[in-house]
Amino acid sequence: MNSTTVKRFIAVALAPSLILYALFVFIPVLWSAFYSLFNWSGIGEASFIGFQNYKELLGDSIFWHTLGNNVVFVLASVLGQVPLALFLAIILYKSNAIQRFLRAAVFMPMVLSTVVIGLIWNYVYHPQIGILNFVLDALHLSSLKMEWLSDPDIAIFSLIPPLVWSYVGLYLIIFISALQNIPGELDDAAKIDGARGFTKLFKITLPMIWGTIQVAMILCIAGSLKSFDLVYIMTRGGPAHATELLATYMYNATFSTYRYGYGSTISTAIVIISLLLIGTSQWLTSRKK
Amino acid sequence: MSKIALHSPYAASGTFTMKRIAYTIGWIFITIYGILTIYPLFWLIISAFKSNAQFFNEPFSLPNQWVFDNFITAWTTSKMGIAFRNSTIVSLASLLFTLLLSGLTSYVLARFNFRLKGLTMLFFVVGMLIPIHSTLVPLFILMKQLSILNTYWALILPYTAFALPTAIFILTAYLSTIPKEIEEAAYIDGTSLWGVFFRIMLPISLPALSTVSILTFLHSWNDFSFALVFISKSSLKTLPLAVSNFADGFQTDYSLTLAAMTLSVIPSIVVFLLFQEQVMKGMTAGAVKG
Amino acid sequence: MIKAAKLGMIAMLIVVVLAACSSNTSNGGSSNDADETITLTIWNNWSGQDAKAVAMRKILDDFQAENPNIKLEIEALATDGLKTRLRTAAAADEMPDLFVMWPGAMTKEFVQGDLLQPINDFLDQNAEWKNNFIENALVDFTVDENIYSVPMNLAPSSLLYYNEELFKQYNVKVPTTWDELLQAVDTFNANNIIPIALGNKANWVAQSTTFSTIGDRVTGTEWFLKAVEQDGASFTDPEFVEALKLYQELGAAKAYQEGFNSIDENQMIQLYTQEKAAMVINGGWAVASLVNTASEEMLNATNITILPPVNGGKGEAKTTAGVVGTGLGVNKKLSGAKKEAAMKLFYALAGPDGQKATLESSTLVSYKLELDPSKANPLFIKLTELMKETKIVPVYDSKLSSAAVEAINNGLQELLLGGDAEDIAERIQAAQASAVN
Repeated sequence: MNSTTVKRFIAVALAPSLILYALFVFIPVLWSAFYSLFNWSGIGEASFIGFQNYKELLGDSIFWHTLGNNVVFVLASVLGQVPLALFLAIILYKSNAIQRFLRAAVFMPMVLSTVVIGLIWNYVYHPQIGILNFVLDALHLSSLKMEWLSDPDIAIFSLIPPLVWSYVGLYLIIFISALQNIPGELDDAAKIDGARGFTKLFKITLPMIWGTIQVAMILCIAGSLKSFDLVYIMTRGGPAHATELLATYMYNATFSTYRYGYGSTISTAIVIISLLLIGTSQWLTSRKK
Repeated sequence: MSKIALHSPYAASGTFTMKRIAYTIGWIFITIYGILTIYPLFWLIISAFKSNAQFFNEPFSLPNQWVFDNFITAWTTSKMGIAFRNSTIVSLASLLFTLLLSGLTSYVLARFNFRLKGLTMLFFVVGMLIPIHSTLVPLFILMKQLSILNTYWALILPYTAFALPTAIFILTAYLSTIPKEIEEAAYIDGTSLWGVFFRIMLPISLPALSTVSILTFLHSWNDFSFALVFISKSSLKTLPLAVSNFADGFQTDYSLTLAAMTLSVIPSIVVFLLFQEQVMKGMTAGAVKG
Repeated sequence: MIKAAKLGMIAMLIVVVLAACSSNTSNGGSSNDADETITLTIWNNWSGQDAKAVAMRKILDDFQAENPNIKLEIEALATDGLKTRLRTAAAADEMPDLFVMWPGAMTKEFVQGDLLQPINDFLDQNAEWKNNFIENALVDFTVDENIYSVPMNLAPSSLLYYNEELFKQYNVKVPTTWDELLQAVDTFNANNIIPIALGNKANWVAQSTTFSTIGDRVTGTEWFLKAVEQDGASFTDPEFVEALKLYQELGAAKAYQEGFNSIDENQMIQLYTQEKAAMVINGGWAVASLVNTASEEMLNATNITILPPVNGGKGEAKTTAGVVGTGLGVNKKLSGAKKEAAMKLFYALAGPDGQKATLESSTLVSYKLELDPSKANPLFIKLTELMKETKIVPVYDSKLSSAAVEAINNGLQELLLGGDAEDIAERIQAAQASAVN
């Protein structure tokens, strides 16, 4: 077929997605970035102040603290969720009943709304009647009891288990789908060559799905940097900003303190930081091939 | 030759039994993990059968009395029937559009080379990075201009638009791993590009499409913020909104909230179970059918 | 299989498009009847099953029945959701005709954004109604002499609910001085009972229910109002720092249970109803919550009082922090017949009958009314009796700018974790100063 037909097809195929996406996603992002240059309460008049919001952001200690929290999440996701999901995918990809049950079980948190997840984990961590403290008491490990969500030093780390637990199912099905994709012949060839277990894992399986692993990492980073629901439900970013995330900070600025311009600054910063982190991670992992 | 040793009934090497033990312990741990993971769902369901007072006093025990009334009250007072209908329409529609549009886009991005390809991918990636709350006001204003506020489109279009980046991302990655020979035969036969798309690419991408389906459906089914802001007519309310009615800033009627949540979680579970079979079938199934 | 799937998809597509379109046409129709039917949109937070929400919805239903030519489009949302939606609609200038609105900062912001219209004329036309509100009821809805709404309930935020049985059991006196309060705290701690339950996850709780009153006890109301205006007083003044330190002292005496910053209001009341805590400090709205979840014995054992006065404090003793309740904002764009209809609905909800219905649903009102004891539960009657001799002083978050509210809410969390009172005071001062200037 000639190149004009191909070109026309490409245009027609891409057009609806591009238009819909540009209109409903990209333009709002730009609009938001635009308002980051203004001092606006969200109601009435807005006054142009150039990059002052950004200057304020750079000097805002709460901003840096929340960025630190997000980085903790990114690391926990990339080093926690991805390997865990990979591990589970490798051992859970056959079709017998137990495996199906376990796959469904691991995925189940994705189905629940964050309100439910937040509620449950709040009861796990509840200082007086929570499951965690109850179990520690029963095991005579009461000295290990801490104020899981109240102690500013550890609160953000207490949020990692619910986070990993909620999303590991997503990466599980992505990896399973990728593992299914490895051509059967490669598997047989490996068997004949005598490669088993860990050798097979590292020399054949992983490289074959490396592309998917990279995809998972990008999704991880993107998700962790804009993470909002779980923290908002469980701690509202408290106590005293201890568990504040970029997205909750932005939400507060926009909807609680009537500083829409500043809120837009934060969300634009999120996009920029995400791009930087993703770019870096892609560069780092593409050399490994 | 060590393989022979493994299968030999005379194998009594230490490594063999140790591996066996390690395997079994491993499996036990994983099963425990599985049960722990399912526990919250179980907890949700039994809590929904409790009265408020019992939930407050004994959050972890089994219900003293199985209060079915919670479900009936929750259903009628929050008009869940209507909410279910609306959520279903909106979620299915966005699912359909997302599959179609992302399928087309991924086909092009994975299989063709053209000048602005890299830029286009980057363009879509940016969409995955924005916290959605920052788009609430601009989208609201945009939809007001387009006069689609308070219609199903006010939700279907943004849901689709926001699902596209992730969908395209996953699909493109998947398609790139499929050898080109598959379509080449069809091209030589003179099949049109559209034909190739519908008859070869879509069926082959079934596993990835199933993954995308699950994600998109869940995303639309559970979304709260967009449904809160873009729809203000009761007749168009979706489930998450209906469920939230029982929690005021000052007090939460847990028995009703949990009952409502249990009801709304059922379709999600069904969708997941349906599609996970597809995800598991793998490429071989697709190739045979094609 | 593929063909079937394709057909299936096309069928679904058609159904979906038809459904979506049909909602479109029903939309287009209603905007045309300007002559006969008037459509009013009203957004509120009467979405729950609590008695007040039920009462309000009944008024709406009755109104609709009595006024067939007025069509009401009612949207009921939980409070947080309502606020988010109002803010978004405000940014796009798409407000509904009537909406539940909070006094103080929110009213000011909306007035500044030119979204409300004053109701002075309407109030003057109904002078008897206007004059029957309690003292200062309309102040927080007034900006520059223009009154924008009337309160539909009253929210004292700082009431001490205590378990008489526990007090008797451990021989503790109901505190009438600050020292007695600290003593009570010690005694309960010694007996492994949580003295005061606190759930400060939504960080306004400590500020609204406890600190506002303590602040007033120490500094007096006059000082506070001046500091809000940044006119002759500042939050770095010694009296305010003293108030902060006093509150910190209460926390340091282990008045609260561990982990109080991670549980919410519901769980806080839960600790009280489970008899793990002897007291809980919460607003008048807690009565409804208690009635819903506490046992019969608990309710009978519960009594209500106010925080004790502070040695050498400048504030009046028989006061509690609070704010008049929500009112209804009237869209600036209303005029003519539509405006008349809206004000009619306004009067049905906030007029004498509406206030009475609210009171009978066990919710306090800012209106002078006698409660019919047969219509209320005993705990609520105890509350109304208490309120008869208690004045309301401003709760901090009703007067401060939203930035200062953020600062003090977060600051109090920090304070109770051992933060530095002077630093926190400075931050609050900075936030309020930049908002006022």
